[in-house]
Amino acid sequence: MSPQGPQGMVVAERPVAGEPRPYAFPPFRRTRLANGLSVVAVDMPGRPLLSAALVVPGGATDEPAELAGATILMARALAEGTADHDAVALVEAIERLGASLHAEAGWDALSISLDVPAGRFAAALDLVAEVAARPTFPDSEVERLREERLNDILQARADPRRRAEDAFIDTIYAPTSPYRRSSAGTTETVERLDASTCRAELARRFDPARMSLIVGGDLAGIDVERLANERFGGWVADPATRPPGPIDATPAARHRQIRVVHRPGSVQTEIRIGHPGAARLIPDFHALAVMSAVLGGLFNSRLNRKLREEKGYTYGAHAGFDLRRGAGPFAARAPVDTAVTVPAILEMLAVIDGIGGGVSQVELDEARDYLVGVFPLRFETAGAVVGALSGIVIQGLPDDELARYRPAIQAVTADDVVAAATAHVHPDELAIVLVGDADAFLPDLEAAGLGPIEVERDPVPASPEVGDDEDA
Amino acid sequence: MLVPTIEFSDERLANGLRLIVAEDHLAPVAAVNIWYAVGSKHEQPGKTGFAHLFEHVMFQGSAHVSKAEHISLIQSIGGTMNGTTWLDRTNYFETVPSHQLEIALWLEADRMGTLLDALSQENLDNQREVVKNEKRWSYDNRPYGSWWEHMLAGLFPEDHPYHHTTIGSMADLEAASLEDVKAFFRMHYAPNNAVLSIVGDVDRTQVRGWVERYFGGIPAKPGLPVVISGDVPPTLGRERRETVADRVPHARIYWGFRSPLFGDPRLDALDLAGQILAGGKGSRLHRRLVRDERLALDVALSSAGCVLGSSVTAGWATARPGVDLAVLEAAFWEELERLATTPPTADELERAKALTEADELGALQRVEERADRLSMYATLFDDPDLVNRILPRYLGVTAEQIRDVCRDVFRADNRLVMVYQPAEQAAGDAEAAA
Repeated sequence: MSPQGPQGMVVAERPVAGEPRPYAFPPFRRTRLANGLSVVAVDMPGRPLLSAALVVPGGATDEPAELAGATILMARALAEGTADHDAVALVEAIERLGASLHAEAGWDALSISLDVPAGRFAAALDLVAEVAARPTFPDSEVERLREERLNDILQARADPRRRAEDAFIDTIYAPTSPYRRSSAGTTETVERLDASTCRAELARRFDPARMSLIVGGDLAGIDVERLANERFGGWVADPATRPPGPIDATPAARHRQIRVVHRPGSVQTEIRIGHPGAARLIPDFHALAVMSAVLGGLFNSRLNRKLREEKGYTYGAHAGFDLRRGAGPFAARAPVDTAVTVPAILEMLAVIDGIGGGVSQVELDEARDYLVGVFPLRFETAGAVVGALSGIVIQGLPDDELARYRPAIQAVTADDVVAAATAHVHPDELAIVLVGDADAFLPDLEAAGLGPIEVERDPVPASPEVGDDEDA
Repeated sequence: MLVPTIEFSDERLANGLRLIVAEDHLAPVAAVNIWYAVGSKHEQPGKTGFAHLFEHVMFQGSAHVSKAEHISLIQSIGGTMNGTTWLDRTNYFETVPSHQLEIALWLEADRMGTLLDALSQENLDNQREVVKNEKRWSYDNRPYGSWWEHMLAGLFPEDHPYHHTTIGSMADLEAASLEDVKAFFRMHYAPNNAVLSIVGDVDRTQVRGWVERYFGGIPAKPGLPVVISGDVPPTLGRERRETVADRVPHARIYWGFRSPLFGDPRLDALDLAGQILAGGKGSRLHRRLVRDERLALDVALSSAGCVLGSSVTAGWATARPGVDLAVLEAAFWEELERLATTPPTADELERAKALTEADELGALQRVEERADRLSMYATLFDDPDLVNRILPRYLGVTAEQIRDVCRDVFRADNRLVMVYQPAEQAAGDAEAAA
């Protein structure tokens, strides 16, 4: 029996930390093939599951507005047939290697990612090269993927949290901004897409001098540069290629907006409060990270502590910035019991309003210590390391960005946090977007006097026509 | 074999706490994982959702830790943490920089030994509201969100411990009292009902000393473990059908089956069957229903291994608009029956095994997953070394074993079929008819 502690069964005295083992982000080497393709190799001894990503700059912001969704559709269609394999033969070839190969696009880039046991890396890299350079975009497969997206839009409307995200971005960005719409496009734009759109979208991005291949894991006996050169060294830029352009992230308004999407009978209200935020390339990135952690990132963030641990309004409340090449959204998010919708909004506004007023030493320490301390945990696997390096490449950050992350976070002061809050959080410009049972909270919301309210009520679904079995 | 063997020590403290330690010095991280042998199956009628509510209370402080301090302390040392509750268990885990391991052990010991010292009505009320909001968010306010509740209720009789979900019912959560929570703690939370696994950049001898120091004084409780029974026939005995009107844009058909228990090698074969039938774009159901015949928008089929009476094998297909649900259902069923009649091809089996092996390699590279597996196999089977034998078992499954288990499970008299229909559509139909 331990003698310490009032109960005599546990030890009252808290242990102190041991000596930290030195940690550095895994070193990587970067070379260029003759055609300009950049090859980044990260040796991680003892990690036999390799991860690789072929990163192609230019994402969903780099497509014509009337063809929104084209980039993501193109990415998904890459692995649906090549000059060498039809879609089924290709997926079977991938599976035989015990590999997973995914092509996906986001706002800023297209990425073909691969996970494969080290011994089969070369064979799997053949398939990456194949889907990147020789996709055939069969009409039937593209048409099927397009229809899947159209049906996914219906699912998004039915799901309160996806509905809230879509209504939120539609509220905070000006009509000229691509960020106003879902990166996978809208019904109107997706209906226009076909295989020729996919070909054009790939062509405009196909310039090896702007692409990067990033490979991580136990590279013993694997000559990444040679393997890359054999497969990608002969690529030449498509004549249609052009670099990503500037991004319009204009806010819809510089004042408060309130939008309610009425969903009768909803037992929770999905709340989104925010405005267009910041781009990734900002000088105060590290201060912003600490500020976000205090505001809505940590479990004991101001937002979660108030809404969950004090009030019990929600299973979890969070806030943060989606840092992209352009100014992605800043949002505070919480799904709350319908009955406390308005009190929850008022608490969230108060918390957001307060972050510019300063942070305590305890808050500052907790946020910095978390971000610094958790850094090595984030990079246990090759997939996580390759993901972080993809971000460096996509955002055009310097090679030492990850190496200097921890000292830069440690150096953030309370004044820096206040400055970041002042620069990036604008309480007077917050949009409030709610998806829930408006009949249950609208009178209280009006009484709260937060501003003019726009209510969106879905049209009552039409009765199905006789003899028409199209039921969507 | 691609997946390296995990070496570990396995011993019990005098108070019954089982301690498993696996050293791995690749990264400066350490995972702590405790499984308590208590899950929602131990809940009494009228007290559903208690095991999970209790898990929340475990983060509300103990004798030397204030409310929410457990989490803030772990985060401020650069760690991550959580707890989860399931039918058969409750687990708590932290992953921390390895030089901070001792604080994580201290925190787990403090709540194992002294939780009730800090328990208050206020904290219980607060977490009750949090959990009710978790239920609303995860089940009630989500399209198709009720499917798992319907699945368990349909596959297990009303008096079976698996009949209800882990989240429980709103009424029972509402009724939970401080006394209930105390009784639950006294009944289930003790060193002799727990397995503590530690994996990572640690020294076994040092860990042994710390665990003895922090946990060694917590007394064992008599009467543990609490053994419950839940035998059911291996099949449902008849087909069950259900239609659910929900606020969904597409109809979706769910299938549920009773299946062999977790640990039974036949479930290994059924897992591979799930891979062959619906494990990705190369699978039979995806190829036929999604790609070739365009009947479905997506398909799924997998098994949740359980240890009491029966496991749960569940699948679904979301109907493409305009598709006759009877046609979709027949096509899905035909693929299941085909595998129940004819063994998979050598190539299909080889692909399923290659993917299973790579998945295992991927999962086990993280210390957190290794610690969880060691705790799981020790808790459920008294056999932590299963972590090293499960992959060879999968790789040894034959095509005939896959056919045989499919024949036993995919039977018309063992299927629960639930059809989710768009409620607006149903309402529209009713209105038009009126």
